[in-house]
Amino acid sequence: MTLTLIYHFRPSESLEAGFVPAAYKVVYLFSEQGFLEASLLREMSKTIPDANHELVSFLNLDDLKAFALRVCQEVGSPEVRLVSVQDYNVGIDGARDLRGFQGIFGRYGDVVVNDELARKKGFLGKLFS
Amino acid sequence: MSLSQDGIHLAALDREHNLNKLLTFFEPKVFSAFSQFLKSFVSFLSEQKVEAPVWGAEFFYLEENRKVSYFTDASVAFEHGFSRYFRQKFPEGTGAPADPGPLKHEFTREVAGLFRETAEAFLSTYWMGRQEVIVLGGSPRDCIQRALPAGKSQLSYARELVKLHTHDEWLSSALLSRGEKRDLLPVILSEHFGPREAEEKYLFQKPRTELTEEYSPYGVVEVYTDNDSFRKQGLLGFLDDHYKSLYTQKPDFSFSNEWVLGSQHKIKVFQGSKQTRVHLGQILKLFLMGHRVLLDLQDLPAELEKKLHIFFIENNIRSQTVNFVTPTSIYELGDGRLVTFEGRRLVGKPEQRSFWQHIFKYFTLTQPEVSMDEDVLSFWKIRGASAHELSYLDVRRVNFYNPTSYKKHVTIHTKNHFAFLRAVDPLRATAKSVSQGVEIELLPNGKITLDFGHYEEVAR
Repeated sequence: MTLTLIYHFRPSESLEAGFVPAAYKVVYLFSEQGFLEASLLREMSKTIPDANHELVSFLNLDDLKAFALRVCQEVGSPEVRLVSVQDYNVGIDGARDLRGFQGIFGRYGDVVVNDELARKKGFLGKLFS
Repeated sequence: MSLSQDGIHLAALDREHNLNKLLTFFEPKVFSAFSQFLKSFVSFLSEQKVEAPVWGAEFFYLEENRKVSYFTDASVAFEHGFSRYFRQKFPEGTGAPADPGPLKHEFTREVAGLFRETAEAFLSTYWMGRQEVIVLGGSPRDCIQRALPAGKSQLSYARELVKLHTHDEWLSSALLSRGEKRDLLPVILSEHFGPREAEEKYLFQKPRTELTEEYSPYGVVEVYTDNDSFRKQGLLGFLDDHYKSLYTQKPDFSFSNEWVLGSQHKIKVFQGSKQTRVHLGQILKLFLMGHRVLLDLQDLPAELEKKLHIFFIENNIRSQTVNFVTPTSIYELGDGRLVTFEGRRLVGKPEQRSFWQHIFKYFTLTQPEVSMDEDVLSFWKIRGASAHELSYLDVRRVNFYNPTSYKKHVTIHTKNHFAFLRAVDPLRATAKSVSQGVEIELLPNGKITLDFGHYEEVAR
């Protein structure tokens, strides 16, 4: 099961109510089976300091990657692909049909590997080989 | 292109798996092209001597249980247009609101209004009005879900249909492919959102004001609200448990003859905070005409509260007052019932469920009680008794559908006013008469229809 995380970067804003820092917000997080439950995402976001648990947003890209990795470990996925909305939109622009649209999720974004799972598989592989 | 609030390009997969990308309504070229299209369309109608009326449709999608208009946009074109609008409204910059959100919403509605008015102007004698249509599978999230190997489940669509039915919304399934419209989904669509329902929605058939021998949709409660206060007061949760698919929730009502006559049997629930002098007057008229009305006095303007008191004094209508969880006053005049309460006192109270049970017990709704497993869909209809059913006041029909992969059970308690007449067209389902009513077993993708004769219990 491979996860795909689409995120939106919102720059910082100075509003009358106060300063709102920049944030990386999780827009969608899904596997081939479907979307992950929002409650799981909120729960996992609590493992990242200074995260906004309601919105599931993070102050920087490293925190977002750490969150993504945490989710990977929780659901037992070998990796998660992080796709920005900009990349996703470029993909949409270039796609004309279902196949082209599905291709977006293999072509764009950065992959974060679940090393823990890879190590386990490697160890078990050696054990049973 | 049009952008969602999360910066995603709006696109939708159609039934032939083409990816359709939506342009922003806020690009001036789009409005210009729309006007050109209208001109050509009107010429076509005239040349072909078409006499059919034309409705304008504003389309929406469902995302996270919210209805979102395709006009909603966060693109650069929108921001440019909004900046001009903002400068026009606040040329000096003073008096501008801290939160631009409501103003952006106002700007969006004004532009949507411009498209509508232009269509109305071009189509003139053909123009019937505007309809809101919700597109199944049309949200950015749906676009992704439908592209996944597992696709969007029938159960997900079924849950959306229940929500749309409750909110009396119209829908389009035009985007769904043949592979997606499988199992029970096409059956539910044709039986409850089909040609007969479309004819009523688009006013090609007059709304029914009395029972005929043809089945028509049946409900017992109408809730008028556009916010979540009734949910916080526990009313909607209570209705979901006891009168699922038997109530509708709408933001407003239209005080027409057809509506007054056709909804005589329904309990109507109104919010004080939304009332104007005219609306309150209409609510009081309903009470005088024998309707059953619930009015939440929370945030009712002081002037209208005074009008209410004067109405009761002038008509010599006394109240019975009960203080259970919240102060509740009951007014009776002939068949009319008006119950007022302070909704804010119910919020967060564990006794709120008990409060609503007492209220609805007072109203004595005559309706079979249904206990059903989660995710079973039900739709109720009613018709007049036929010549060989004269012992019945009316005949009620309920359709049950199981769109899940699990076996489900339903129990209907007929109580003393209903006789189980027949089961119709069972598919992977069985019905068994028991002493209290009927027990139903629905296998995955099972459906069944039951008819009940409603009779008046003879006093002993």
